[in-house]
Amino acid sequence: MLEKTPVLDLICHLILLLGAALVCLPLYFVFVTGTLSQEEVLVVPMSRLPSNQFFVNLATILEKASFGRQLLNSFVVALGVTVGKLSISIIAAFAVTYFRFPFRKTAFWLIFVSLMLPIEVRIVPTYESAANVALPLNVLSTWFDLSGLFSRIAGRDVEVGLDWNMVNTYPGLILPLIASATATFLFRQFFLTVPDELLEAALIDGARPMQFFRLILLPLSRSNIIALGIILFLAGWNQYLWPLLMTTDLQMSTAVVGLKKLLPPPDGLPSWHLLMNAALITMLPPALVILVLQRWFVKGLIDSGK
Amino acid sequence: MPASNSAVTGSGHTSRFSLSPLTSWLRLSTSDGAENGLKRAHFDDWKLPVFLLIPQLFVLLLFFFIPSFRALIQSVQLTDPFGATVQWVGFSNFVRLFNSGPYWSSVNVTIWFTLAQNALTLGIALIFAFATNHVLRGTSAYRTVILLPYAIAPAVAGIMWAFLFNPRVGPIAQMIQALGIGWDPNRSGNQAIALVVMAASWKHICYNYIFLVAALMAVPKSILESAAIDGAGPIRRFYLISLPMIAPTLFFLVVINFVYALFETFAIVDATTRGGPAGATSILVYKVYQDGFVTLDLGSSAAQSVVLMTLALGLTLAQFRFIERRVNYSV
Amino acid sequence: MKRFFRIGLVLTATALMPASAQSQTKIEFWHAMSGALGERVEELVKKFNASQDKYVVNPVAKGNYDEVLNGMIAAYRAKRQPEIVQVNERGFLTMIYSGAVLTAADLMAQNGYKTDWTNFIAPVVSYYSKDGKVQAMPFNSSTPILFYNRDHFKAAGFEKPGETWQELEAQMDAIKSKGASKCIMALPGDYEWSFLENYSAVNDLSYATKRNGIDGLDTSFVFNKHLVGQIERMKRLIDKGVMEIAGQGINPVQLFAGGTCSTIIASTASHAAVQAGAKFDWSAVELPYEKGVTPKNSVIGGGALWALKGHSDEQYKAVAAFFNYLASVDTQVWWHKATGYVPVTKAAYETAKAEGYYKTNPTREIAVIQLMRGTPSDNSLGFRMGNSNQINVGIMEEMQAAMLGKKPVQKALDDAVARGNDILRRYEQLHAGKQ
Repeated sequence: MLEKTPVLDLICHLILLLGAALVCLPLYFVFVTGTLSQEEVLVVPMSRLPSNQFFVNLATILEKASFGRQLLNSFVVALGVTVGKLSISIIAAFAVTYFRFPFRKTAFWLIFVSLMLPIEVRIVPTYESAANVALPLNVLSTWFDLSGLFSRIAGRDVEVGLDWNMVNTYPGLILPLIASATATFLFRQFFLTVPDELLEAALIDGARPMQFFRLILLPLSRSNIIALGIILFLAGWNQYLWPLLMTTDLQMSTAVVGLKKLLPPPDGLPSWHLLMNAALITMLPPALVILVLQRWFVKGLIDSGK
Repeated sequence: MPASNSAVTGSGHTSRFSLSPLTSWLRLSTSDGAENGLKRAHFDDWKLPVFLLIPQLFVLLLFFFIPSFRALIQSVQLTDPFGATVQWVGFSNFVRLFNSGPYWSSVNVTIWFTLAQNALTLGIALIFAFATNHVLRGTSAYRTVILLPYAIAPAVAGIMWAFLFNPRVGPIAQMIQALGIGWDPNRSGNQAIALVVMAASWKHICYNYIFLVAALMAVPKSILESAAIDGAGPIRRFYLISLPMIAPTLFFLVVINFVYALFETFAIVDATTRGGPAGATSILVYKVYQDGFVTLDLGSSAAQSVVLMTLALGLTLAQFRFIERRVNYSV
Repeated sequence: MKRFFRIGLVLTATALMPASAQSQTKIEFWHAMSGALGERVEELVKKFNASQDKYVVNPVAKGNYDEVLNGMIAAYRAKRQPEIVQVNERGFLTMIYSGAVLTAADLMAQNGYKTDWTNFIAPVVSYYSKDGKVQAMPFNSSTPILFYNRDHFKAAGFEKPGETWQELEAQMDAIKSKGASKCIMALPGDYEWSFLENYSAVNDLSYATKRNGIDGLDTSFVFNKHLVGQIERMKRLIDKGVMEIAGQGINPVQLFAGGTCSTIIASTASHAAVQAGAKFDWSAVELPYEKGVTPKNSVIGGGALWALKGHSDEQYKAVAAFFNYLASVDTQVWWHKATGYVPVTKAAYETAKAEGYYKTNPTREIAVIQLMRGTPSDNSLGFRMGNSNQINVGIMEEMQAAMLGKKPVQKALDDAVARGNDILRRYEQLHAGKQ
């Protein structure tokens, strides 16, 4: 710093230590509770020191609460959202910034508009859409009376109905979550900063669009892809509302939603130890991602704010 | 060398599309001479881009445009939850909504909640950012630790805080009660809101913190140095120079915090108070869920969705309008 | 380079596949029983499956009554509904106007069963009948009773709870002041059912017009005229520290069974949890009533089973067989003993009595006696309101506000009535013209 300020330095360190405590203390309590046994949990006041039941509790939730399966689901969803969103977004961004074609701006605005409405404001109809994805086709079918048409052709009564229900499925969990254009917009912003000379040079070499994309643009975007991928993975892992609605089967829930089911039930003893144990496990993968990939993660956060 | 795609290079070719008033208002064009988001060097082809765009647009169609449209339609209908009976009722859902006490009380709760959360999160994050910027040693360690809550899902944070503050078994609740304060969020609406605000802020401080640290680091050292030469201490330098210079970031964070408090805190409420007691923590987004999925008042839920959509649109437009230009951060 | 398309347009061709040709017909039964009761349901279904080899019932625990209902509605809209669903008693109107159910009486008759509907006890039949036909299969009927901790009462010098609210309140004050326990009554989670509705029924007070909705969709709530004293009492008990609100994560019945609270007014089906958990001397009595009133019968709670439309004849045969099994005397007696729900058939009740079951378990009979006490008045026949879920949420919110002192009691009651009536009117509008 510019001058020596030992008092202020000390105060700042104290503040930061306080901040660290603010984060760590709750986590510590969670950890402690996650290691208690059912009897110890019922003791009031609950113990402040860890006990030895961590792995016992872990085994219980993995077996009895299908938690292992739910962790897997979380992983599938998070990965699916990440890969899905990254892939459709990067090619869409490429299309919208590097090509001139009619309705280009319309396409861009259509995508841009989807940034404006988070899923929370349209949960009911989005759920209905996922519960019967073919609904719009059904509506069309009714309008054009396809049933009647086919009945006449076939000479018998034919009912044309399409039914595609995504509830309790992986696509149902993943697809609606990739229907927002944040990643597209970010890639678009990035592409706009890529020097034009690169494309010009590539054209001189006779490159076709997808070659340019694959050989030049993608490698250039690597750090963005990683950073964004981390953010998306975390977001996908931590999703709550959407998996809550989309899964009625415990086997298909994600870990975060499954936690809610572990809340003390109306009909039994409060099992805080199991709940906290599960909470801790649920926090681990994202925490690991952040710890290991911190540099990219921070970059991704900042970039997505721009 | 044959180029199967004709491409256009050079600055002679400008876009024929005139800037629509909306675009100019949003100032969405960016650097490098690109017009309206099209690179100066680009391809002239329509088959490939359409092909590339189909996945994105198709997913958006199915899971964004159609549901949003249906929300609009449902908001002017009276529906039996089974879907068997449907009536068109014009704006009566909205009229009823705006006449209903619980709705306005929910609006009230939401306003207080977002304001409190914003102030708390931004304030604490600012203090931490200042401290981080000031000390020389251990910054990355502090940063890592303070960053951790980002990994925690809002729902999990909610569960944690509900447990910690549970009047019967929670460690922190017991500490509070030992101080003589009667703590029971199941009885006191104000305590319930306090609980939710604390949980929401705790989780979001890291996000604010990261941006503030980066913004503070971007303040030009030269200005700070000359101020120091003029005799300004670090704290005066902070609020005379740094704060004004990071004002865009502060503004940006205020908007982000609003969006977070309005929409992403559903999980926290659902995991802790479920809108209670007596609707004291029933924020708008929670009420949409409750009316849509618990009490099955679909018309009202759709009407609320439409109101929230308008709000979300306004906030996003504000975000883009005012925050468009950004300082380049070093990370 | 073609990127993979995540959305393959793989459509399933037909909407409803016919039940595949299997040796056994499988049907799904969605229920709302959890914990000990859930285990009993599993046992029951296992016994049915084992008793024959043509049909297999698959029980699915879908959460609480609200969650089961919502899940079922969502499934129905997506054409994925189960064959049998358990809906709570207050969902009666919602179900019959849904257009999604088959009448139980018709279902049984069509499948060749001569079910004797008069064998079901009167309160159950009258609740679930419309146009003279029983619409749903009665399954788990209950009514609230007062459980009490005998040790606490004895320590304060009382043999058992008084019969009237006034006596009971005096006793509760005494127990608290003598230090026999710190929490005298736990407020149950379904207090709207026990403290408001059943209170009105037992004390012969009108809850809503048109015989609580039985006579028509144009019913309106009127309980704000009669319940002031009761809500004020509840608020008073809470303020005095005599009654406790359990709150998130704590089960009120557990508060009683764990020995913390001396009494609880809970469903007779709580017998399962209480018997399993209580390590003290406990018993039960009928609900308290107001001094000077001749108490009427209480009203049933619990649920019934509904057969949903949209399945094949084979599957309905399975449903009918299952329903028939449930109505049989042996099953009913077993279910009653295992759970604490009342025996819904007279034959089952008589059999249990003849066995001497109530001599050894007198608390099990209290619910039945209370249900069949006297002749029902217009106010104690039952409740029939549409969108009852919605209505309940509103009423409970207002009552909470009153009990926590956020609103004056009369205002909270008036607001609750206004909110409830608003929902009733919209339900009436939506289903106008239906009978």
